[in-house]
Amino acid sequence: MRPSDDDFGYTEEKPGQALAVLAEALFLINLLLLPGLAFLVLAGLWLHFRQSAPALARQHLKQATLVSLWGGLLIVCFAAGIVLAGGLDWEYTWVALILYFTCIHSTLVLFGMYALIKAMSGQVWRFPIIGPRLDGDA
Amino acid sequence: MQYKSQAVAKPYFIAAIGLFVGQILFGLILGLQYVLGDFLFPAIPFNVARMVHTNLLIVWLLFGFMGGAYYMIPEESETELFSPKLALALFWIFLVAGALTIVGYLAVPYATLAELTGNNLLETMGREFLEQPLPTKLGIVVVALAFLFNITMTVLKGKKTSISIVLLLGLWGLAVFFLFSFYNPVNVVLDKFFWWWTVHLWVEGVWELILGSFLAFVLIKTTGVDREVIEKWLYVIVTLTLITGIIGTGHHYFWIGTPEYWQWWGSIFSALEPIPFFAMTVFAFNMVNRRRREHPNKAAVLWALGTGVMAFLGAGVWGFLHTLAPVNYYTHGTQITAAHGHMAFYGAYAMVNLMMISYAMPILRGRAANGNKSQVLEMWSFWLMTVAMVFITLFLTAAGILQVWLQRVSDTPLPFMVAQEKIQLFYWMREWAGVAFLIGLILYIASFFAGGDEKEAA
Repeated sequence: MRPSDDDFGYTEEKPGQALAVLAEALFLINLLLLPGLAFLVLAGLWLHFRQSAPALARQHLKQATLVSLWGGLLIVCFAAGIVLAGGLDWEYTWVALILYFTCIHSTLVLFGMYALIKAMSGQVWRFPIIGPRLDGDA
Repeated sequence: MQYKSQAVAKPYFIAAIGLFVGQILFGLILGLQYVLGDFLFPAIPFNVARMVHTNLLIVWLLFGFMGGAYYMIPEESETELFSPKLALALFWIFLVAGALTIVGYLAVPYATLAELTGNNLLETMGREFLEQPLPTKLGIVVVALAFLFNITMTVLKGKKTSISIVLLLGLWGLAVFFLFSFYNPVNVVLDKFFWWWTVHLWVEGVWELILGSFLAFVLIKTTGVDREVIEKWLYVIVTLTLITGIIGTGHHYFWIGTPEYWQWWGSIFSALEPIPFFAMTVFAFNMVNRRRREHPNKAAVLWALGTGVMAFLGAGVWGFLHTLAPVNYYTHGTQITAAHGHMAFYGAYAMVNLMMISYAMPILRGRAANGNKSQVLEMWSFWLMTVAMVFITLFLTAAGILQVWLQRVSDTPLPFMVAQEKIQLFYWMREWAGVAFLIGLILYIASFFAGGDEKEAA
């Protein structure tokens, strides 16, 4: 069948797919555009739907929310640690801080993109290392 | 190979790889000159090595683009190339002109080269990336126009697809914006203003269209996803590229004497420039994830995915890092720019050319894909070159941050050369990462000769 004009390779083939895509999109928006605000919406969605949503959406909401939390902690805690250890007046503090922030942030964004693609394809995916374990019903 | 005339792409690809090797060797020479200032002096001064390094990059990428177009267009248009003989003649003209230019850079002082090549008739030389002598520049125009004639006529006589139209748009843009290299006004502000119309509107404008069309073509072939789906992604990418990239030129206008509003326009639009690269990465991974066939050429698919990720990191993330005017005030022209330049060029344009070569070369040699041994070697080369480039970028970024601090932020700023002394450690580390890159490139070339169990004939 010829795809419709608004087909970008994404159609809701599985229940909960749209919500899964929204979850991963909010994960990325939190990292790239509206930090904090997007997380609040994401966390709200997770709390609201964590019992009632289809398994696919539940998994993506959980992954996106908890990895946002862990990611935020990784960014803030280590960055604060670098600043506290080196002080703001030492040039190597800035070398470590900027490199650390750029690398960790980019890694989270790349993982977020991959999670978004998985959601668009109706597949569950666990973020490496900091992603929570997948539930049995996934 | 579906059309006999696609074979003209082969010499272009071979020349591209040869020139790529030259670029990397000169890169290593340059890297050593950063730490051993008189290395190979006076035979190859720093400014000459730099010019050869960057010019070879541009020329090998152009060879790759032309080879890719000659391979892709007959297949997209479902007809033989308008004139394969013209394509071959242009290959030799471009190769000889390019080689003579490099020999000229190395054999005589730049000022003498300018005198010998008639720069006094129309002064175009002496500007970064556009250092080519007047006859070379005229040669590029002639070759580009004849190449475009050949490609356009092929499209006109055959089937018109979105992918070939986007490629044509990119290639015509490339030729048109090169014409600004002939405009060299005495007023330095005007000079710089229009110089960017070639340099920026190439790499952050029309070249991205070439990248998008190559990527779309290879993804259609390797994943079997519907052309309609891929073409729609391509439309979105082209739109995002042009919306952000054209006014994004403003990030070069911050400090050259243009009105202050460019600091706003440049900052806002260039902050949006990562979006098309973001879309390209999602596009590539999405198509591969939804593939309907297992293409035997795994290496080509790896390059396709790699170019998305590395272009996003190099052009998108590292570009954004220093694109806002208040940040650029401190970072302008430091090693942070070099870090961005290295990863962006590799990720967006070197890798997309290697992807096209990886996909097309086995077919041009009479098989759908190379044997396992050859592909494993190629994948090793992919990882070695890509990881080496990540480290080159990280070391240059570290050098750049330190440079900014010591030379521009500090209450007691150091002179340029003193600051350079202080960041030598990172230059050494960059050099070793460069050696790893060269090893990756050697493996890449070795993969062409590895043989092994070739996949079925194409």
